[in-house]
Amino acid sequence: MIRLSGLRVLYGSFAAVDGLDLDIRGGELFGLLGPNGAGKSTTIRVLIGQRRPTAGTVTVAGHDVVREWASIKPLFGYVPDRENHFEEFTGRRNLEFFGQLYGVPKRRARDVLKMVELDEAADLPVRGYSLGMRKKLLLARALLHEPRVLYLDEPTANLDIHSAEVVHRILRERVKLGATIILTTHDMDEVEKICDRVGIVCRGKLVALDSPLTLKQAHTERKVDVIRTDGERLVVDMDTGPGRRQLADLVVAGRVASLRTREFDFHATFLKLTGQAFE
Amino acid sequence: MRWYILHALLHKEFQRHLANRGGIALGLLLVAAAVLLAVFAPEEAAAGTGMVGGVHYCYVEFDRVTPLISHLQENTPKELAGQIRFRPLATADDINELVSYPTGTGAIRIRQVNKPGERPVVQVSVWHPDGDPAALAPYEQWFWRESRRAFAEQSRKEMPGTDLPPDPAFDPENRWLVMEAHRRFQDQVEAARKVGPGNPPVVPDLDIDRKGLGGRILDFRAAIATGMVVFALYFSCVYLLPTLNCEERERGVLLAQALSPASPIEILAAKFLFYPTLGMGLAAILAGIYKPAVLGSLFFWLSLAAVGGGFLGIGMTVATLAKTQRAAFLGAMCYLLSVSMLLLICSTNGIPFVPYLALEYHGPRILHAALAGDVAPKHWQHLIGALGLATAWLTAAGWLFRRRGWQ
Repeated sequence: MIRLSGLRVLYGSFAAVDGLDLDIRGGELFGLLGPNGAGKSTTIRVLIGQRRPTAGTVTVAGHDVVREWASIKPLFGYVPDRENHFEEFTGRRNLEFFGQLYGVPKRRARDVLKMVELDEAADLPVRGYSLGMRKKLLLARALLHEPRVLYLDEPTANLDIHSAEVVHRILRERVKLGATIILTTHDMDEVEKICDRVGIVCRGKLVALDSPLTLKQAHTERKVDVIRTDGERLVVDMDTGPGRRQLADLVVAGRVASLRTREFDFHATFLKLTGQAFE
Repeated sequence: MRWYILHALLHKEFQRHLANRGGIALGLLLVAAAVLLAVFAPEEAAAGTGMVGGVHYCYVEFDRVTPLISHLQENTPKELAGQIRFRPLATADDINELVSYPTGTGAIRIRQVNKPGERPVVQVSVWHPDGDPAALAPYEQWFWRESRRAFAEQSRKEMPGTDLPPDPAFDPENRWLVMEAHRRFQDQVEAARKVGPGNPPVVPDLDIDRKGLGGRILDFRAAIATGMVVFALYFSCVYLLPTLNCEERERGVLLAQALSPASPIEILAAKFLFYPTLGMGLAAILAGIYKPAVLGSLFFWLSLAAVGGGFLGIGMTVATLAKTQRAAFLGAMCYLLSVSMLLLICSTNGIPFVPYLALEYHGPRILHAALAGDVAPKHWQHLIGALGLATAWLTAAGWLFRRRGWQ
């Protein structure tokens, strides 16, 4: 559905994106992760036609984003990280205006407002909305025309747990209906919970690309924390023969007071892959 | 160009203005002012003075160089040095033998007649702006004082050691007082000379003539109405358009619209349609309230289109160059101040041609002519100039928009 081939974007001599290859399938919820300046925002900017690639090609549903931009525009919805509404209009009026541009009926505004649970605040001016409400209104706007592709830049930032759950549910529903979603987020739990695949970019390059589960399997440390009956603590590496034998001996001798396997740590994995502090 | 998108964009602009009531309040104030201007205005009060009071400079014209002229040239006071311009009458611009004076000027014309056997006569014609006889007062004060000193110096040269009386105080605007003072001076000089029947008189006779410069009087009410019409166009196209556009850009809603199916041309077309229509609509309402007949004048509508189009080009240029709402506001204000200063400097210093490059030079003239119902051939020339400048501004705005866009 979305294909990036050798995407390279230069700002002067600085390569914000450096030979990025990605193939995102239709009906997939894809998480794009990376530290500050990794090239996530630049990639999204290329996808929404706000930045021309220096080299490489990007296609959405088979249309080139540079040459066939007009064909791509009606296909996608975009939730920016910074809210951008007409403050003086009500939530409903904001959606009705964009609905008119997309040529959708007025009742669609009512439907999406209900979907994001803003129907009660629909007739209040946006200037009175909280940050979370504004964020949900952005999602409602992006869903107005039921796009085949959704780009979301931190869609659950500033949302309470319930609202974040609502957003997750909506995104999963859209995916079930065949939509393709790319989201950038800082919430690791969110990535694990809703993303089908995750791409980790660093310094403009893709450093990991897989499903959260596969990443988990690949990067979970196979180590066991043991507390002996005499109170001594030790870590046993299960990937080595001596380690496995040592643990077996301890268990057989009845000298184990406590034993705990290590959980997958996405943050640690991220740090390991990028070699940088997480943003 | 899709109508449903254009309609949505135009409706959005309209609703934004409905939501921001400051603009509506200003429009209503202008309408109220136009109603007051139309209702409380007796016909006889229509005549007035120039748009800017006083004169910017005064010509001193002479038929030939005499000791009087030389004295005046040598004794120009510092404070009036930039405003007094000496010129031989032969070099003055004339049309059908009538000397033509630019707006905001006056003249003191000196002709000196010497007939054999008669006392010489200095004919002084004071040409003040119509309706403002006091406008030349500082120049006349200087002229009468220095002419008196010139005559006194001449007398002293011919009669060394003569004790001449001090300069009398007199009102330079009062012709009778000036003449009386001069006659007394002549008598005193003659007495000092102990004049004999055959001696030629030293101090010439004065022949003073004061006249208005003629021409058409500026209709002051029409000038106010013109100001309101120009302001309505300026406010809509040069202030509202860039500031609201930059506000949309700053908030990111312009990007949201650009990512929708609306094309940049449609977004631009909506702005191009809305703001000039708003400005011209308000301007036409104001003009219609002031003088309903003007709405049937082709010249008025052409003038409105030329000035509105030019202001739209200026507004679009500011909108393209400014990145923030504040920058757009400052840009509009700076433009207004710069052009005002340019026109003022050119006007007060008699700099030719440069004002022709400003839309604000032609615009008020053609709109005033339309509102005063006083369209002359020269106003059609101004209209052509305004249309040319409007085209230039719109072309520049279009070029800038293509190069820089709004993002």
